[in-house]
Amino acid sequence: MAALQRVAQSSVSTAGSSYAASGKAVLGSSAAVGNFLGGEKVVSDQFPVGLKVLVVDDDTTCLRIVEQMLRRCLYHVTTCSQATVALKLLREKKGGFDVVLSDVHMPDMDGYKLLELVGLEMDLPVIMMSADGRTRAVMRGIKHGACDYLIKPIREEELKNIWQHVVRKKWNENRDFEHSGSMEDNDRPKRVNEDTEYASSVNEETEGLKGQKKRSNYKEEDDGELENDDPSTSKKPRVVWSVELHQQFVSAVNQLGLDKAVPKRILELMNVPGLTRENVASHLQKFRLYLKRLSGGVPQQQSGISGTFCGSVESNVKLGSRGRFDIQALAASGQIPPQTLAALHAELLGRPAGNLVPAMDQPALLHASLQGPKRLPVEHCLTFGQPLVKGQSNIYKQFPQSIFSVEDVSSRYGAWTTNSLGTVGPSNNVGGASNPNSNLLMDILQQQRQQQQKQPPLQQQSVLPEPSRSINVQPSCLVVPSQSSASFQAGSPASVNQNSSFNRNSVIDYSILSPQSNNSALNVGHISNGDAKTSGVVCGYSAPGSSSTLSSCSLNADNSTGLQNSAATFVGDARQLPGIGPNIVDIQGSYSAKSGEILDQGPLKNLGFVGKGTFIPSRFAVDEYESPMSNLNPGKVHSESNGNLVKQEPSMDFGDNAKLGTPVFRQFPSNDLMSVFTK
Amino acid sequence: MLGLGADRLRADMNRLLALLFHQGVLDEQFLQLQQLQDESSPNFVSEVVNIYFHESEKLLRNLRGLLMEKEFADYKKMGIHLNQFMGSSSSIGAKRVRNVCVAFRAASEQTNRAGCLRALELLEHEYCYLKNKLHELFQIEQQRALAAGVRYPMQN
Repeated sequence: MAALQRVAQSSVSTAGSSYAASGKAVLGSSAAVGNFLGGEKVVSDQFPVGLKVLVVDDDTTCLRIVEQMLRRCLYHVTTCSQATVALKLLREKKGGFDVVLSDVHMPDMDGYKLLELVGLEMDLPVIMMSADGRTRAVMRGIKHGACDYLIKPIREEELKNIWQHVVRKKWNENRDFEHSGSMEDNDRPKRVNEDTEYASSVNEETEGLKGQKKRSNYKEEDDGELENDDPSTSKKPRVVWSVELHQQFVSAVNQLGLDKAVPKRILELMNVPGLTRENVASHLQKFRLYLKRLSGGVPQQQSGISGTFCGSVESNVKLGSRGRFDIQALAASGQIPPQTLAALHAELLGRPAGNLVPAMDQPALLHASLQGPKRLPVEHCLTFGQPLVKGQSNIYKQFPQSIFSVEDVSSRYGAWTTNSLGTVGPSNNVGGASNPNSNLLMDILQQQRQQQQKQPPLQQQSVLPEPSRSINVQPSCLVVPSQSSASFQAGSPASVNQNSSFNRNSVIDYSILSPQSNNSALNVGHISNGDAKTSGVVCGYSAPGSSSTLSSCSLNADNSTGLQNSAATFVGDARQLPGIGPNIVDIQGSYSAKSGEILDQGPLKNLGFVGKGTFIPSRFAVDEYESPMSNLNPGKVHSESNGNLVKQEPSMDFGDNAKLGTPVFRQFPSNDLMSVFTK
Repeated sequence: MLGLGADRLRADMNRLLALLFHQGVLDEQFLQLQQLQDESSPNFVSEVVNIYFHESEKLLRNLRGLLMEKEFADYKKMGIHLNQFMGSSSSIGAKRVRNVCVAFRAASEQTNRAGCLRALELLEHEYCYLKNKLHELFQIEQQRALAAGVRYPMQN
């Protein structure tokens, strides 16, 4: 026993260290800005002094003048006459610059391209400069994510003020992170556009004409730009990377090998008419960046977009199609207050029928693996729900289904992934908020929860379903975003392969996530053999004991034994999951004494991470804790389901590409839930 | 004695500058440039202007080369060159050069070859005028600095 514990400890520590490392990286990148913004100590009297500015301009005259002007502002200036060199500098010295000033026209690389890359990779504020002050040129710069556009001749007064962009950026990040909920209203208008876009891609088949029209408009608007990961800059995807398309892309990349994949070859392999090398190149770039981000730990902020995507359209659709039933059932059971029910209905009914249909009936978009799982999840739910809550089994079933549908929808949105690349960060909250529909759902759920909490606690068991879901989600990360991890895993071997490439990254993601989580202790573990459910069970059990600590365990295929301890019912689930090596399951923490057990077990089996990425779903766990004993039976379920929805969408995106991505997203949604609950 | 000479030279400089401003050859951006000159970079103005001359001559050569192409002139490339020329000219306050660049760019966007050629002629002319005048200015300033026994003090 002692030996086991020791092992467990060691595994935990390794995990911790890896997190710490990634956390450090994250901090490092923002440290420079942090110097200015951080705490009270940060804001010194001479604040902007020493601001690290990188100036890129092929026109040496301007370069020299700007340099001198910046010097006079007591900024720390680095100049560079070539965009490629500048990029290299930026990549080498992450955190070495606070702001980038870039010319628009440069022979070796278009300033817009540099802008995009900087935005994607280091998320620094970029200020464009050009003698061309015509609206079209300025608009283009802004669409590409420039935080400012200075028209030459540049005046010293303008440069004096550029620190504001550094502060604003940082400030916005903080605000996004802290007040996810409050941001909703502000972000809504922006998001609406994005949503419509997405919707068009989703409903391609049913509303093909409309969607295509919209898309073509976008194309005309911004020729060939990448989407920006930063939510603050509104950029639109030019080519809609549907799930299918993205799958083709991923399989081409896999075929070539990530390192050897070049746009031209990928394009040949994909053999899609209308797709240009540039499209592929930009997508590949984003794809790589995404992988890099996962591994490198980027401070988020952009997640907001991803959240939005998942957002409104899909989640609503799901609810609408299948959710009504569930809702009514819930209402019947008295768990849902009438108001909320009405609100939900309004939401659902408001949705065009078309949306519902595509979500349900487009199997083509889904992965083969997904298709299989669709049905499976229901079964899972049943297994969970029935034993736990006898009367409400129906409800549980329904929810899972709805969740699934959501996932499906999200899967179709391959295109979103690109947007979400940037969004690893904490901003998720914002994203969630942005989706009006999702928000509503969330609110409703929250209300329900609260009400339920007031009511006498039903049972601990109710808690269980939630954990299981969360677990499911995590497994989905592996390959399929769907909640039924086991079935998915079995179903989609191909996806597993893809995951392998991603896995390394995933670990990093977790680390990033973990800091965000509010839980006092977060242990994140990965389970190589996805016994997500088992882990979920564990959580549920532990939940009653609720302590603030969340322990995620990483379990190997072997873990099943550990799971058994937790719950027999769950064990069954674990079995269902065929030991698929690559699948990773995240386990949220167990809180109470039980949690301790869980931890021990988990660590024992997994030394470190199995290598496949996972995420940390700790948020869910947190939510549960908040309403520790109270029974959120239906309410909780709902909330979870919502969270799942949100998560799923992102997962879908990633699902195609990287499974790892999903976990991150999920976490965010969970955060949203959390925030609501806490309030 | 020396001081008198310096004063006289300073007056010459100011006269010349006033003339250039009056003619619209220079604008206030040039004064900004002068204000940027300080102890840490005592030759800043002449340094920048020399860079500008160097770059501009390259650009002018390129523009002429592009326009001389028999078959097909690359107007897009021309536009990029002109943009740069505009940027650097406006940055040193070479107002008239910049204005000609704007006209040149307009002609190139209309793929108006004749207009481009005319604009190029004008541009070369304006550029030469500017260069001569600035050289004159720098020479006076140099003399003044010598006369004052100080290297490049602040003009104002």
